[in-house]
Amino acid sequence: MRRFRAVSWQLAGSALALSTVGLVVISSASAELTADYVSRQSLWIALGVVVMLVAALVDYNVLLRYAIWIYVAAVAALAAVTFFGHEAGGARSWIGIGGLGGQPSDFCKIATVLLLARRLADSQAPVPPRGGPWVTAAVCALPVLLIACQPDMGGALMFVPALAALAAVTGVSLRSALVALGAAVALVAALWVFALPEYQKTRVLSYLQPQADPLGSGYQVRQSRIAVGSGQALGKGYGEGTQSNLRFLPTPHTDFVFAVLAEEYGFAGVTLVMALFLLYLGNGVRIALAARDPAGLLLVVGLLAFLAGYVLYNTAMVVGLLPITGIPLPFLSYGGSFMLFCCAATGLMIGLDLRRFVNV
Amino acid sequence: MNLDSPGHEHSADRVLLLMATRLKWMVWSLAVAFAVVLGSYWYYQVVRGEHYGRLAENNRLRILRLDAPRGLIYDHSGQVLAENTPTFRLLIVRNRSADLEASLAFAADILGHDNSEELARSLERHRGVGSDVPVLLAEELELNQVARFEVSVLEHPEFEVSASGRRLYRYSDQTAHLLGYLSEPTAAEQDRDPTLVAADMIGRSGVERLRDRALRGTAGERTVVVDSRGRLVSDEDVDRLDAVAGEPVHLTVDLRLQQEAQSVLVDKVGAIVALDPRDGAVRAMASSPSFDPNGFAGRLNQEDWEQIVGAPNRPLQNRAIQNTYPPGSVFKIVMAVAGLAEGLIDPEERIWCGGATRIYDRRWRCWQSRGHGRLNLRGALQHSCDIYFYRHGMKMGIETIARYARRLGLGGPTGIEFPGEREGLVPDAEWSLTSRGLPWYPGETISVAIGQGPLLTTPLQVAVMTAAVANGGFLVRPHVLAGGARRPEPVGLDAEVVAFVADALANVVETGTGRRARNPVVTVAGKTGTAQVIAQETWTRSEDLPLEHADHAWFTSYGPVDAPELVVVVFVEHGGRGSEVAAPLARRMHESYFGASPQT
Repeated sequence: MRRFRAVSWQLAGSALALSTVGLVVISSASAELTADYVSRQSLWIALGVVVMLVAALVDYNVLLRYAIWIYVAAVAALAAVTFFGHEAGGARSWIGIGGLGGQPSDFCKIATVLLLARRLADSQAPVPPRGGPWVTAAVCALPVLLIACQPDMGGALMFVPALAALAAVTGVSLRSALVALGAAVALVAALWVFALPEYQKTRVLSYLQPQADPLGSGYQVRQSRIAVGSGQALGKGYGEGTQSNLRFLPTPHTDFVFAVLAEEYGFAGVTLVMALFLLYLGNGVRIALAARDPAGLLLVVGLLAFLAGYVLYNTAMVVGLLPITGIPLPFLSYGGSFMLFCCAATGLMIGLDLRRFVNV
Repeated sequence: MNLDSPGHEHSADRVLLLMATRLKWMVWSLAVAFAVVLGSYWYYQVVRGEHYGRLAENNRLRILRLDAPRGLIYDHSGQVLAENTPTFRLLIVRNRSADLEASLAFAADILGHDNSEELARSLERHRGVGSDVPVLLAEELELNQVARFEVSVLEHPEFEVSASGRRLYRYSDQTAHLLGYLSEPTAAEQDRDPTLVAADMIGRSGVERLRDRALRGTAGERTVVVDSRGRLVSDEDVDRLDAVAGEPVHLTVDLRLQQEAQSVLVDKVGAIVALDPRDGAVRAMASSPSFDPNGFAGRLNQEDWEQIVGAPNRPLQNRAIQNTYPPGSVFKIVMAVAGLAEGLIDPEERIWCGGATRIYDRRWRCWQSRGHGRLNLRGALQHSCDIYFYRHGMKMGIETIARYARRLGLGGPTGIEFPGEREGLVPDAEWSLTSRGLPWYPGETISVAIGQGPLLTTPLQVAVMTAAVANGGFLVRPHVLAGGARRPEPVGLDAEVVAFVADALANVVETGTGRRARNPVVTVAGKTGTAQVIAQETWTRSEDLPLEHADHAWFTSYGPVDAPELVVVVFVEHGGRGSEVAAPLARRMHESYFGASPQT
């Protein structure tokens, strides 16, 4: 019973509230689309709740202990899909699981945070982990490079806030950070010259020079900003967003779901969703601060930094502060494995919260 | 590696504390980042919200133009002369195209052109028009071409296909000068008149220009909701202002006579004017060579245009009003009227014509080199004797001649509605001094007496002059628009003077030089004219002259003699003798108008 009462209801509640808001916005945004995104997303949310429960019940210490094997499995899946997966939207990042597509890169985020949390915590102990900072740097670099090769620059970019946050909280010296950065650059160069096949290079290059926007540069930014701005203080109401319903907005149900929300519910809706995110992140921080051991704290910080990075980048991109790249909004954007990643992260944090009074 | 080993408890707590402190600092920076993002939303939604609200409306709403059908043009019996026929037109919005060359190549492929050069040339004409304005690229698309543009709307949103009316002149070159033609407005004209768009057509000459404003009507507007591809979201309009069709225009022209006029001039250079002497209603106005105005309605490219403008004999020129010629012996009508009215000619006085005479120390020839013998006024008109009129011209003097010429409508605008009418020239001493800086030579009066010298007239002026004889002395205002008649003004001549000349003109056709206009259908009165193009020192037969020096052939006439209803003036540039060339053409006109055409 004590455990039950100790559950962070605010964390789970804000996650579910955000998912529900997402469902409403998706149903408005996808009204003109052919696929039934609402019921699919409902299915993903249901699946996410299960994943959240499982993640909360599993002892994070066990996960940390086997972090290296989880990491190896995740990176292997990522490598497989990067080089043999099927292409969608110019990038190989998908694997099909029973008709529902999923991205191993989402799984890889958790695996990387787990292994890093363990290694960085160990690095503070009197007996440092095997391999030292070089291996730690390689642990960071490998998934990032693989995702960059898919090529999914946005996905790779989103590792940066998590890695930076972990490094900062661990207290990595500036010198070590610079060494790690230099190593990463060297690795990218080496990979580019020796390892990448030509067609992969072509894909990366074509990603860096997008021709996908036939109406000239800035069209999507402009349309997204018009959607946001025209929502004004109180919004146009459910289903009344002309920018999304008349398809001026690109991908209104995934990456630009927040633009639809801003258009239909105005600054009020934006503030409400931001408040929910802050409630979620604040609870996460509270859990991190209450963690009983450095590895647990680092685990929560890594997951929170990932989520916060996605929220900040997506909302800033939608309003035109940052360049547009494929970054979804946690809990709100339509998408399977990313929803599962968010739920798993939430579950892990809840599990950590449950165990703050318990001796394992 | 065991975190729970007892020796490390204390150091693990210390590490945890340090990490917590660093985490709190990070939370602050996160809060700042969120504040910045939320602040931007506040700026765009609350501060600039109305601005973006308008932009969203502009995105969603598109104003479509509803073209007003151009007014139809009818002849006096209600036959349609100019109408509109449905056509599909291809428009391009240049700023929607990512690569204009590729777009043109794509269109050229569908339109079946070998390359996109022609399309590029037609785009050239719209250089001064904003690139967000749809401009015309091609007309008369076939249905399968329309379909191909429609299905490629996603890849080529720059193309728009619009169904609209294209001007069709049913009788093509037979009504070309009368009706005129259309072309697109220039950038300057669009600036002056904001209701005009690049895809519009405006009247450039003839009735199309004369009544352009009324014929054009008023374009309407449809405000519709479109999606990001520009497709209509629903059939319901947000707002609609229907187009007002152009007004119909009714002409005084008789289609059958107009067609006859144009066809008798085939292969000739010249003009025919037919009008009602009672009120000046123009029944036919033909000019040859002509052109096909339908080619203009489909927009000419530069090459075709230059070909028409630069063609020999200038087909665009309306010779009935825009060119002036010496009237030749047709002018003897004016001479007779003036002489009788002034009492300077005794109609029964006979004058000897021996084929030539000496006046002012110069030898003056009659066209009939063997001479006419003794002739009175009636005979002189009937046989168009030059010597008779030389003598009387000398007696009258240039001032008298000029005064009567002007009273009969020469040397000034006839008042027909068309712009660009030439006034011709009736010379006198004052004109000579002011325009040439030379005194008037008495010898020139002798030339003017037979319609030569500096005297210049348009075929329409000759028609008005003839009408004044036909209607008993009234100057009519020639007009082509129904209801355009003005009260004929009396010339101020005694009825007997006019009646005498009219009777003499009837003799001309009965037994004189105008015999070839005689016909079984209607009685005709008339006067021939053979105007010299250059002064000839020695008489040469017209047929022996090079074409550009050959005489102009005139025949002015009216019928029926008792109650004239139709004046017909035939003019053939470098045609030769009026009696041989022009009179038979006038006969065909009278026959056509008054009943049996020559074919039946």
